[in-house]
Amino acid sequence: MKLTKKLSDLFAKRSARRGWNAFIIFFFALFVLLPTIYVLSYIVTDWGVISTDVLSDTNSVDLSWSEYTEADFLEYEVHKSTVSNFNLTETTLAFEIDNNKTTHTVLMGLSPSTIYYFKIGVNTSSRIIHSNEVNTTGYYETPPPSFEIILYEPIVTKTESLIYHCLWISFEIAAIVTIIDFIAGLPMAWMLVRKEFRGKRFFDTFLDMPLAVPTAALGFSTALFWAVTPGILSPPGSLNLLSSPMLLIIVLHIVFSYPYMVRSLAAILQEIDINYEIAGETCGASRLTAARTITLPLFRAGLVTGIILCFARSLSETGGTMVALATLGSMEKTGPVLIGTWKHVAKYNPNLVPALAFTSIVLILLALVLLVMVKIIVTKVKLPLKKVWPRPEKFLSKGLPPKLGNLFTFIFLLFIVLIPSFFIFSYVATAEPATEIGWGGFWSSLYYSFLVATIITVIDLALGIPMAILIVRGKSKKLGHVLDTLINVPLIVPTAALGFSLGLFWSTQFSFLSSPLLLIIFAHVAFTYPLVVRNVAGALEETDVVYEETARTLGAKPIQVFRKVMLPMIRPSILAGAIMAFTRSLGETGATLAVSPEAITAPVYIVRLIKDHQAYYQAGLACIILIAVSYCAMLLLRYITKKAR
Amino acid sequence: MVNMRLSNITKKYGKIFAADGFNLDVEDGEYVTILGPTGAGKTTILKIIAGLIDQDSGEVYIGERCVDDLPPENREIALLTQGYSLFPHMNVWENTIFAPTVHGWNEKKIEVIGKEMLNMVRLMDRVDAYPRELSGGMKQRNALARALASNAKVLLLDEPLRALDARLRIDLRYELRRLVKDLGITTIHVTHDQEEALTISDKIVVMRKGKVEQVGNPYEIFERPTNIFVAHFVGEANFVEVVITKKSSDKMEMIDRSGRTIISKPQDFDVGKKVIVGIKTEHTAIEKGEKPGTNTFLGKIQRIMFLGKYVSIEVKLEEGKKLHVKIPTSIGTAFKENMLVTVIFAPDRLFIFDYPEKGLEKELEVE
Repeated sequence: MKLTKKLSDLFAKRSARRGWNAFIIFFFALFVLLPTIYVLSYIVTDWGVISTDVLSDTNSVDLSWSEYTEADFLEYEVHKSTVSNFNLTETTLAFEIDNNKTTHTVLMGLSPSTIYYFKIGVNTSSRIIHSNEVNTTGYYETPPPSFEIILYEPIVTKTESLIYHCLWISFEIAAIVTIIDFIAGLPMAWMLVRKEFRGKRFFDTFLDMPLAVPTAALGFSTALFWAVTPGILSPPGSLNLLSSPMLLIIVLHIVFSYPYMVRSLAAILQEIDINYEIAGETCGASRLTAARTITLPLFRAGLVTGIILCFARSLSETGGTMVALATLGSMEKTGPVLIGTWKHVAKYNPNLVPALAFTSIVLILLALVLLVMVKIIVTKVKLPLKKVWPRPEKFLSKGLPPKLGNLFTFIFLLFIVLIPSFFIFSYVATAEPATEIGWGGFWSSLYYSFLVATIITVIDLALGIPMAILIVRGKSKKLGHVLDTLINVPLIVPTAALGFSLGLFWSTQFSFLSSPLLLIIFAHVAFTYPLVVRNVAGALEETDVVYEETARTLGAKPIQVFRKVMLPMIRPSILAGAIMAFTRSLGETGATLAVSPEAITAPVYIVRLIKDHQAYYQAGLACIILIAVSYCAMLLLRYITKKAR
Repeated sequence: MVNMRLSNITKKYGKIFAADGFNLDVEDGEYVTILGPTGAGKTTILKIIAGLIDQDSGEVYIGERCVDDLPPENREIALLTQGYSLFPHMNVWENTIFAPTVHGWNEKKIEVIGKEMLNMVRLMDRVDAYPRELSGGMKQRNALARALASNAKVLLLDEPLRALDARLRIDLRYELRRLVKDLGITTIHVTHDQEEALTISDKIVVMRKGKVEQVGNPYEIFERPTNIFVAHFVGEANFVEVVITKKSSDKMEMIDRSGRTIISKPQDFDVGKKVIVGIKTEHTAIEKGEKPGTNTFLGKIQRIMFLGKYVSIEVKLEEGKKLHVKIPTSIGTAFKENMLVTVIFAPDRLFIFDYPEKGLEKELEVE
């Protein structure tokens, strides 16, 4: 009681409030914005390295080998030479790997005109073992079984084109996903807002369910449902249809981006007065014509939000994509997957950092440019919505066609979004139980994930709500606008690039802070912070400032106004923001991998189970536990915010 | 409880003055109305008093203390806003005891004050209701109870009756005045409704474009407007441009553009000066047919508007100018459209004003 009194007295002072606002902006700038785009400074400081290592005509090679499982393991040695049948010496040693699970690496900066030869050595406490030799000529002969360590066939690619290829795939997929989301999402939003039907509330809840499932679990689940999955027993109901990695990623990304599109379209549709449409209909327009020519043009704001959210989400996604690709057995990579894979390797081979930086920079810049372009295109370009075809539109407005449309929407939701999301239950129920790896790792990763998610939710709320207040209620409108725009940046930047940039920022600028846990917390704050700010700012804009003013004149100090008047009025949005931040953190893979390869959160653990160990049953079970636990956490969060009156 | 003074308050939004050297003296326990058209800056003045907006220059005194550096919560005022802004998540009781609660008074005192206020506004039987369950009148009373429970020394009312039905608005007017007068609270009431201002106030401040046009009691404001705007805005008036031709100790003679002679009591203007003659529509008479003489205007009835107790008749003069006459309905029924009539200005009811620099039209603009 005394403390609250002291606090409210303190905040009654203008200077104290000004200081607090300055702190909020400082926090945002230093902990969110700057680290997010820090990697861009590489363009200035290290362009030379990027241009010689990445942009020149050099190759990179992927090496993978069989794992050494004995207890006397010390380290793997990766050796490179330009002569064949070379001996392992100090001069041929490229780098060492002190983790026996890491049996994959990448080397860069190889001249295409030279033939390189590689060998892996294993250092144990008593001896040195060496593997067979491979080279970059493309010739590979299966080694005789006398080798204890087998080096598999190397994959040689041109570094620059590999990067462009992966980025191109990312953008291509994001664009296709966004378009499909829009086409299928519009009728769904329409149904949710403008139609009354039995079970609408359930429908409404179902729509959000994929959001509660971490994407790593979604990736596994969707792949099991759709894909041809070699090496995994297909559960009953599996379609076994897709073998193309592109198509699989597209269906996967639709699953988790579709709800975002429907939600943003529905939100704006709710705001548009139906009377415009009714007025159009009384003037003789058929229902479709009225909707198309009157409501749709008013839609642009919602369209921008929906497109940006879907696009950014698809562009960012790492964990689910990695899992889906691994389940399919494909070597294809998207931009974020490339960053995640390389970052894992870069721990032992620092030569990869320029390539990583370059990939992140391109990803960030393209994402930002696209954000601006989408905004301009959707708001400025005239949509061809003026022309009217009375007859066909009249025909389409009544009777069977709209019913078919609704049916199609429903089927889309069911088969493309819902069933793939939860198909994993069918798998776990039917697959042969097998526990290849102990559960200890999973429980500790789950604990780690929850620790991070809880901490970042608390930080987001504590510092995000004041930021929202500053944006909406701040004295300076200009500052509000600027902050409002900047807040979106971490939302657009793909999380893998964000994670890499952030890791770089903290480890180079404040290296004393760069423990993996701290780094992951910083990274997760950076991309979840905008979610809380967005939600709360939206609610504050809807709330009339007059309530706060009245409370002030009735004698309430600023803190009392906040606690007694503002907080209760915006509680639902705070809850929504908190749930979003919490679940996003819980499901995030890309940023976690890119920040610190050592930190094992639950989704990262699931990715590893599938990618490195092919422990599918266990991964499935882990997914279900993760889904169940995050669902419980959501309920708990709801309960806590309701109770904290 | 306390007197209040605004001294030379100025507030600019871009190029527009919301308050332009605004002065106001309010005596202890006085009920003052700030009357003005929308956009005059009335709400801005209230918010400056409340401390919700900082003025660019000038001072606000409550009692003898300059309160400019005090935040709203320390000014001992209570603001009742247009929509009442009852907190939607609190019921009638919680809304009422909001101020005592945030002040941290002891629970017994809170209980006593809450009950006293709710009894006063007759809402004791609805303590558990939420604002959305209350009628407009109840909301208004609840908001009033909440404002009064704060123990404020000055009550600021921003269009407190605007959101109510016409009938209820009239009833609540008197109740509002009675309540605050009984408690002796100094009150500033902002409205654009002249009838409301005339019936409720001890003192009216007519405001336009951030400036005080006239201050006075309701009778003075209505009967003795000091400028064209006030004459026009408080009750309707007719205006005619004239030139003074003769002046003697008992009368003054003027002539309008069409050569009609108008006579009034002598006033402090020189012969040859161009002035404006005005008269309230209520004091304008009308007769059938042509009546020669001074202060008469021959014209045709263009439109008759039925106002209930009164009819308003619009007469078009030969030169195209329109005059308005407001007469009791019982007499008004005798007139029909297109009838030839004479409009008569009573000489002892005429106002005479300086000819405005920017012309008559500009001066009559309400917004």
